[in-house]
Amino acid sequence: MTSNASSSSFSDEDEESAGQKPKTGSIDYSPDAIENQLPSIALNTSIDEEKVSVADDHHEPVTEIARGSSREIEPERLISSTGESNLSTETGVWRNSSKVEVDGATSSPCSSGYAGEMGTSSGTASTSGADDIQELRNNSSSVGNDGEVLHSAQWVPGKRHVDEDDTCMSWRERKKHFFVLSHSGKPIFSRYGNEHKLAGFSATLQAIISFVKDGGDRIHLIRAGKHQVVFLVKGPIYLVCISCTEEPYESLRGQLELLYGQMVLILTESVSRYFEKNPKFDMTPLLGGTDAVFSSLFHAFSWNPASFLHAYTCLPLPCATRQAAAAILQDVSDSGVIYSMLMCKYKVVSLVGAQKAPLHPDDMLLLANFVMTSESFSPICLPRYNAMAFLHAYVHYFDDDTYLVLLTSNSDAFFHLKDCRIQIENVLVKSNVLSDIQRSLLEGGMRVENLPLYPSTRYGSLFHNEPSDRSQESLQPGIGGPDGLWHFIYRSMNLDQYVSSKFSSPITTHQHQKRLYRAYQKLYASMHDKETGPHKTQFKRDGNYVLLCWVTTDFELYAAFDPLADKGSAIRICNRVCQWVKDVENEIFLLGGGSTFAW
Amino acid sequence: MGCSSSLPDRSVGRVGGLNPDGGDSDAKNLRVKLVLLGDSGVGKSCIVLRFVRGQFDPTSKVTVGASFLSQTIALQDSTTVKFEIWDTAGQERYAALAPLYYRGAAVGVIVYDITNPDSFHKAQYWVKELQKHGSPDIVLALVGNKADLQEKREVSVQDGIEYAEKNGMFFIETSAKTADNINQLFEEIAKRLPRPSAS
Repeated sequence: MTSNASSSSFSDEDEESAGQKPKTGSIDYSPDAIENQLPSIALNTSIDEEKVSVADDHHEPVTEIARGSSREIEPERLISSTGESNLSTETGVWRNSSKVEVDGATSSPCSSGYAGEMGTSSGTASTSGADDIQELRNNSSSVGNDGEVLHSAQWVPGKRHVDEDDTCMSWRERKKHFFVLSHSGKPIFSRYGNEHKLAGFSATLQAIISFVKDGGDRIHLIRAGKHQVVFLVKGPIYLVCISCTEEPYESLRGQLELLYGQMVLILTESVSRYFEKNPKFDMTPLLGGTDAVFSSLFHAFSWNPASFLHAYTCLPLPCATRQAAAAILQDVSDSGVIYSMLMCKYKVVSLVGAQKAPLHPDDMLLLANFVMTSESFSPICLPRYNAMAFLHAYVHYFDDDTYLVLLTSNSDAFFHLKDCRIQIENVLVKSNVLSDIQRSLLEGGMRVENLPLYPSTRYGSLFHNEPSDRSQESLQPGIGGPDGLWHFIYRSMNLDQYVSSKFSSPITTHQHQKRLYRAYQKLYASMHDKETGPHKTQFKRDGNYVLLCWVTTDFELYAAFDPLADKGSAIRICNRVCQWVKDVENEIFLLGGGSTFAW
Repeated sequence: MGCSSSLPDRSVGRVGGLNPDGGDSDAKNLRVKLVLLGDSGVGKSCIVLRFVRGQFDPTSKVTVGASFLSQTIALQDSTTVKFEIWDTAGQERYAALAPLYYRGAAVGVIVYDITNPDSFHKAQYWVKELQKHGSPDIVLALVGNKADLQEKREVSVQDGIEYAEKNGMFFIETSAKTADNINQLFEEIAKRLPRPSAS
């Protein structure tokens, strides 16, 4: 473990640097305090990251495809093991507790591969591989230097590989499957392939779940070689994820929760009543036409930090601009509007609620993910607000990115909301809010290159950078921020909001960004591990990054550095990042609004 | 492409929450609520987009809930008609919510796909629904869309005409892709609208 090896040698420099600690109330821990904690944490927490596994992660999906055929967990094997009533303890641990480790030996390539079963698989495998690689190329080519927005225009939502079923090699090789089925085993949704053709597979999953259920227990996870099978039971609806992406169990489970939330958003939870009346009820027609919504949710699982942080992010804007937007939203919110949100893509510009109940960040993610047209009025349900009832969402797009959502419980309110929107639009245009939004989209945000050198130079705004700064940046590719800082995410605990720095060199390609995203995701899960945690700090070094995580009661900071970065400097930089965030907080966060504020 | 017609000549009824407030509708400038109904994927949104924006997007997204667009056309007798169009989602989960959108509509446009007999049956369901629960003087149009796909046709023109005649509807076949008959559809509807009396 490289982190242990490196942890001892920086103390001197670090003590020197302690003098430069910014004096601020928000930062409770001095650098040396963290430094003192680090070695112990490095020893006893989950820095069990093997280089090998991380390295594997990097080449996805290309290498995965190459090896996919030998690593796949096959449904048949699961059936057969469930079928045997006397499961041996090695393979059957999953009966007695939440987590299951199917013994590694049983899932060795020789015993599990499809290759043996289906001798002529190579042809299909290579076609599917090419397909995925093509998708990957499309993605990466669309991400420019400023790759913050990964779901760029070229990523097209919609269901892929509709014709496949579980007999297809290509289907079995997909890295991450999501299934939704009913308690009677009827397929409701599958990420890949045709639901109707997957009836047998779906029944298999149902058999596994009910086998454990009949024993008075609940199945949460099956681990089989590189694969994890994660289960989530929501009344009569069963959700299953089968993944070989090495994401932590907690993350996959969180994704299943969001998938369920997305279904509730479309149909409400009262859909389970149909199953009470008729266990064989077919739910697929009710989800007709929503493939794009789900595919964009799955896409968000690999680029949108909101999906594991359970926090939302704001579009950086000058303070006055955001206040202008909030004021006009507040004006209309008295007239029967439950929530008013001005959004830009998945980022919040302003948010006003007429009620004390804050809008849950997960609900915001699911709502923003729900595709709507230029001007529409649709029934939607906010799972965390009231999972049983519909609200009505008035949505209007001011331009391709910026849209207004007004939520009401009154199904007759369309023309009233349309009037509200016209009123809001007039104000937004007059006070230049819409043009400020466009400007922020183009050049706003926190760039690690601009991290101020405290205390000598500090500017309290993201919007007054000298033009020369910017041209300088573009002349220095491959450098990142000071002392090897590549990227950071700062999450404010009180606000339920996070801010993430823009991706800059060298994290420019889609693969790099996705790899970093997964590394953060893993870091998040390890910091919040219920068995060994919660933890306060973690310093981790592997072949790709130095990752530093720092959790306090006020914030969580996740930072990625050059793998050769010095530990003492990294800690110093993290302090600077916190100070920077504090300095510009009224431009990057929605303060006095959103979650904690009573209206 | 056949036509059949039936013209109720009472004034346009306006009740219900999703209706324009009215008031600015007079004999020369009509303002009418139009609702599009039909099975998922028959091309309702494409028809509207072609009519309102002159665009055709073969990859257009599935409508969720209902989207709202408006377009004004001028007739030869110098009257203008502003269509306030509710383009509803065709999916089953929204069937129960359809009354929200068709209540008080002056025009119901029911769309099917000429290559899909199921969608023709679904169209008949919507016709019955509107006859039962729509405004009594609603102008109904039956539209066979995707007329450019002649070689895949499964619903004959004759079937469309016959059903429309039996139910006192206006019938037309359109293609949102080639723009064929799209403007004609809305012009014909406009001509058939009951005019408020000058008094």
